[in-house]
Amino acid sequence: MSFFTALGVEFQKIRRSKILLILLIPVVIMWIPSIVNARINFDTRNIPITPENNFFIQGFMGMVWFIIPASLVICTVLLTQTERSQRGILKMLSLPVSIVKLCLAKFLVLVILSLVQMLMAVFAYYISAAAASQLQHYDFVLKPDFVFPVVLRIYLAAIPMAAVFWMLAVLIQTPVFAAGAGLVSIVPTVLIINTKLWFLYPISYPFYLLMIEYGKVAQGVYETEIQWLPWIPAAIVITIAALAISCIRFGAAERR
Amino acid sequence: MNIIETKNLTKSYGDFTAVSHLNMHIRKGTVYGFLGPNGAGKSTTMKMFLGLTKPTDGSFSVDGKTYPSDRRAILQEVGSFIEAPAFYGNLTGEENLDIIRRILGLPKSAMNEALELVGLTQFRRRLAKKYSLGMKQRLGLASALIGRPPILILDEPTNGLDPVGIHEIRTLIRSLPQRYDCTVLVSSHLLSEVELMADDIGILNHGRLLFEGSIQSLRETARSMGFPTDNLENTFLAMIDEDNRRMGERR
Amino acid sequence: MILSLEMKKLKRTGIFPAFLIGALLAGAFPIVNMLARAETFTSLPGEPLTILAEANWQMMSMINLLVLLCGACMMYHTEFADNGFQKMEMLPLSSAGLFFGKLVILLLLLALMLLTETASLAFCAGRWFPGSVFSLREYALSAGFWFIAALPTVILTLLIASAFPNMWISLGIGVILLFTVSVFPQDNPVLILFPFSTPYQILALARENGTAASLLTACAAEVLALSGAELLYQKIRRCFA
Repeated sequence: MSFFTALGVEFQKIRRSKILLILLIPVVIMWIPSIVNARINFDTRNIPITPENNFFIQGFMGMVWFIIPASLVICTVLLTQTERSQRGILKMLSLPVSIVKLCLAKFLVLVILSLVQMLMAVFAYYISAAAASQLQHYDFVLKPDFVFPVVLRIYLAAIPMAAVFWMLAVLIQTPVFAAGAGLVSIVPTVLIINTKLWFLYPISYPFYLLMIEYGKVAQGVYETEIQWLPWIPAAIVITIAALAISCIRFGAAERR
Repeated sequence: MNIIETKNLTKSYGDFTAVSHLNMHIRKGTVYGFLGPNGAGKSTTMKMFLGLTKPTDGSFSVDGKTYPSDRRAILQEVGSFIEAPAFYGNLTGEENLDIIRRILGLPKSAMNEALELVGLTQFRRRLAKKYSLGMKQRLGLASALIGRPPILILDEPTNGLDPVGIHEIRTLIRSLPQRYDCTVLVSSHLLSEVELMADDIGILNHGRLLFEGSIQSLRETARSMGFPTDNLENTFLAMIDEDNRRMGERR
Repeated sequence: MILSLEMKKLKRTGIFPAFLIGALLAGAFPIVNMLARAETFTSLPGEPLTILAEANWQMMSMINLLVLLCGACMMYHTEFADNGFQKMEMLPLSSAGLFFGKLVILLLLLALMLLTETASLAFCAGRWFPGSVFSLREYALSAGFWFIAALPTVILTLLIASAFPNMWISLGIGVILLFTVSVFPQDNPVLILFPFSTPYQILALARENGTAASLLTACAAEVLALSGAELLYQKIRRCFA
């Protein structure tokens, strides 16, 4: 079986799970208040930032600090639960498939779902920026050649985090606690991006990148240069380690 | 020729021995009835054949292949149905089979054939989690039969079926070796059932094989050991009882 | 009796280790924060407890709420998952008693978490603010305030958990509420009175702003209202089932 077939099979397994709706709801909940409260973007509290940049940064702040990680956590738990709840995993293990392939195909599903949510977020941003512009008679809409690269970078930075969450979901058998562990790990990111060791904590990567953008558009808020070193090597090592552990432990409880 | 053979196959969990020094011989092209009370170690043995659990000691071969080195080659040849059926509740019966079909690389027709064989065709578009116990059981069977594998491992396939269903499935299993030229290992805790399906039987109690051979030789053995032979179910119960007593004495 | 029964049901669910880990994580928070950048805080004027709470409590409290949320969901999940609840309903027990039994356990666990966390704050104050005076009364009052401030939220999460047999719905609602409320502006005097918002408040600041009394009153009112809602729900629940 090719990897492509494996991926197709994994997508078939999550049919009727309403996962796209689950990904959409937080995005909507996130952006509606920013339309309603668009006025506060003019009150920049002595931070040198334009209202339209403020609108973008504040909106995506909620995305990177909570919604992207939390949605990833929910997706990982959903993916493991579809296997475990009616013991489909047992059937899979008694078929001639490589467990590693199965595990990686699932991870790829996770990464693709996250991409879909990012696109939803960009779409929601443009709708709400346009709506806010109408309401406040001020142009909040930023150019796509600024928005898309930023969002793409944030998305790529979320992949190591996805690998870590995937590992947690594979390792922790009780779904509530797998979700709980993931959600709890989101909380300290705010603190961690202000320390020197932020690059060791993958859950803070997207937040870090957004803070860099914040630093660029509002002088003095945060750093303006991405510390590529030692970030990229650390991220690669963490991602590979997390994926390796997940592949080794995937289905292990069912193979005692 | 034996298609499945075990040598001193043993599995223990901590200090509990589920399967103890098992030496089984399953002839090619036959139905082998695997008999024993609940908890005798039937499922554990079958799980070892499928690589779902690792033997603590001993070894086994399936069509000349051994675990763990040939895990995937073994699974390629085996259709299986283990314990309560394993499936994806959010998918229909048809979609569940489609997943297995794609993994095995079979044509679409294989899926329809399997559905037809177990009598699920009319319910194929219903969600698997909405299936009755009997339908789930049939879905599990279909997922074992799909693609006509040369070896079938079926763990209590008639559990939860009504009398008509039991009869249907029994007849089906009985006919499989001739129809598809395959070997079937089927477990049950009812001798009367195994008697109707199997060529050979193996009786398991507390993880040990008490008897292996044809129904005819079971009758002869029982007679020579002084067990009742008028009704095979009684023979079975007496054998298990005797074994339990001996185990008790040893403790 | 109901309490020991409820305790027994939670055996092997992993709920007790989860709270322990949560408490240790939250407790480690101020310590790590101080280890990383003590000078940012030691230079600030005011009571160490207030400084530390201002720097860390939002996140510590968020961990508490997440753990409580998972705990509440788990408690009702064990009831609903294998139809244990159905069995309970067929026994001569009051389902409200079931609810309050679970609530008491959650509150005991919350008290343990708060104890660990307050101890950790006290440790940080002693370690990094050597000149400060340790007042047990202040720490006890602060922990007590946090306990009361968390009450409405705990009852609400348990109420949601008891209402949805599908645990993912209760967990989802909880997470969304938790997140939405956590981005509410903290200087709005009305918004801070809601469940999921009150647990973030700090006693010293509430006193300063004169909102302590109104906060406590609001919490008491919410406790009564939510308990009433649960009792009512248990009465009318069968109409929906």
